[in-house]
Amino acid sequence: MRPDHELTLMLRIRFHGRGGQGVKTASRILDTAAFASGFQVQDSPVYGAERRGAAVAAYVRIDSGPILERGVIDRPDLIVIGDETLLADGGAGVLVGQQAASAVFVNAPTAQLAAKLETAARLVTLDITERTLRLLGKASALSSGLAAAAARLIGEIPLEQLESAVKSELAELSLAEETIERNVALAREVFQALPAIEFRPATGERPAEQAKVVRLAYDPPLRSAPTILAPGNAAQRKTGDWRVERPAIDYERCTRCGLCFVACPDAAITLDEKGYPVIDYEHCKGCMICREQCPLEAIETEKETRSW
Amino acid sequence: MVTAQNQKLLTGNAAAAWGARLAAIDYVPAFPITPQTEIIETLARWFDAGEMQGKFVTLDSEHSMVMAAGAAAAAGVRVFTATSSQGLVYAMEALYTISGWRVPLVLVNVSRALASPITLGPDHNDVLAARDAGFVQLHCESCQEVLDTVLMAYRIAEDERVSAPVLVNFDGFFLSFTREPVEIPDAEAVRAFLPRFEAKYPTFRASQPLAQGAAVLDGATYTYFRYQLHHALRNALEVHQQAADEFEAHFGRRYGPVETYRLEDADTVLVMAGAFASKGKAAVNRWREQGRNVGLLRLRMVRPLPDRELVAALVGRRAVGVIDQNLSPGLGGILFHEIAGVLAAEENRPAVLRSFVGGLGGKDISSAEFDHVLATLDGAKTGSADPELLFTDAEWRQMQQRLAVAGKSLEAATP
Repeated sequence: MRPDHELTLMLRIRFHGRGGQGVKTASRILDTAAFASGFQVQDSPVYGAERRGAAVAAYVRIDSGPILERGVIDRPDLIVIGDETLLADGGAGVLVGQQAASAVFVNAPTAQLAAKLETAARLVTLDITERTLRLLGKASALSSGLAAAAARLIGEIPLEQLESAVKSELAELSLAEETIERNVALAREVFQALPAIEFRPATGERPAEQAKVVRLAYDPPLRSAPTILAPGNAAQRKTGDWRVERPAIDYERCTRCGLCFVACPDAAITLDEKGYPVIDYEHCKGCMICREQCPLEAIETEKETRSW
Repeated sequence: MVTAQNQKLLTGNAAAAWGARLAAIDYVPAFPITPQTEIIETLARWFDAGEMQGKFVTLDSEHSMVMAAGAAAAAGVRVFTATSSQGLVYAMEALYTISGWRVPLVLVNVSRALASPITLGPDHNDVLAARDAGFVQLHCESCQEVLDTVLMAYRIAEDERVSAPVLVNFDGFFLSFTREPVEIPDAEAVRAFLPRFEAKYPTFRASQPLAQGAAVLDGATYTYFRYQLHHALRNALEVHQQAADEFEAHFGRRYGPVETYRLEDADTVLVMAGAFASKGKAAVNRWREQGRNVGLLRLRMVRPLPDRELVAALVGRRAVGVIDQNLSPGLGGILFHEIAGVLAAEENRPAVLRSFVGGLGGKDISSAEFDHVLATLDGAKTGSADPELLFTDAEWRQMQQRLAVAGKSLEAATP
């Protein structure tokens, strides 16, 4: 199909979430829907070597003509934040370039965020997690909802194209027909709950770049070899909010065998003075290896439906 | 999602796999490495589902993988394999070995910067380390070009004027995991462009003994064979041209050994390779809107080096800036020196030929850095081989924070 008009500016959409929430799939659903709506598109996820729960981002570019940009979007028109806890994680950089954005969408229950969040962009919130829990039975399958929010806000994508993109992208992931249908319902509900907003063309004409090129001089190897001289500084990185599941030790049954202490890959379990294991929830990523290892099955799994 | 033009959204990795599938390859020796793994996962799925016929084998390392690829090609079958970064340099000995066998095959390399320090982001030091290995080397800018180049690569590798392996390169992340609209050519049309493989060299056959890769142990004999490989790669210039003509006739898209972008009246030219050439083109468009006569040359064929095309495109310009996404420590940008070498004998060579290094390990090249490149070229009266290492003030501030976290003193802060 051909859109009935040309975009006056390239739309740059940046999705943020945590590994496992479906941010990459959200970007693909949006991109496929935009492509089917007659636009030129490009989507790309970025992630490092980290796992489920770590901050991830995905970029979508939509334009009427060829797209001559690649990689990072540092001046997005729309920021879609799937997980509000990322706002507290400076390293995730979810608000980078928000000065240029026309809108910031946050998956959050209320608009209370507006007071906390300093942004010149229009702030839009909707509780997609609640809808995902209700329709899909789990909190972390946000892809269809996040894609629908972005599709609706940019206002260039008809609902039918969004629904068919949800179907085709989730079919690629070999999801069951019934699950796909419920995702379509989720997308429809989110799409209909939000307004289309106006994108101001300011981002099309990029304001004078403030960045300057600097000359790097020689640094002595004490600084310039890729060594880390601060042992134990990994503790500064709080990884507890990566958890989807939370291990909980039943101290009534624990025999202090210490196997969980040995097996924890993140050294997030220590032993107290009596030899009982204590979980450091600031760093436990919820891998649940301790639960697998416990010979007495004395470690329970608690769902962190709102852990992030 | 398929449109009227039969386009589908594919990652660069999926496009490479489609190229291999349409080429009807017989054999894939495989070993996983990020960011290339999706290629072999895709092929493995197609073999498993019976959508591809042939043999898919996982090997114990990239070294074994490339040896197996060469050995299979020596048996006269069409071979595809893929790797990246550390995998490519681990296979380095095997690359030199099998090109010396004069067997055709296609190796895809998904560029990723080399350790140390370890990273996953792309630059071109991995693939350029293999530039002297006796492989034809083609660098892609888009996902469509990846698919198309794999098909062209078989035509070039299997031509008896070449009979050598071809390496097809594209950038990790910026193409490997990036989806773009890609037209998947019709299988029948591909068959007309690239017929079934018939080896035009002696191949291993039951009851027909032959020795391959024999020791020669004297310099003149060795030299004869190496000179032959050099001639073969030089012949690839003409063979590429013919393959490009026929590819265009079949599919309507054309790829030259270099791509020129808005060069007609350009007094200033940027030279780049790979996916970031798209960003270079965007910078050119921006400058053109400001009334500047700037163009871009994208080096698609790195081996053989298309010297005639480079001379034709660059001689007579006032200023040329080569942006290398690689760094030869102690020298600078590799492609700059190759291009300077080509232009050295030209009387009317650009007065200003400058070297820039940027985009290492997946680092962005921002518009501010492109503007800095242009300003440097504008302000220069003479050329210089001294590379400008592109880095921004914001990146420097972030680097200082990271050094502090690593327990390094903030004294001796450089800029």
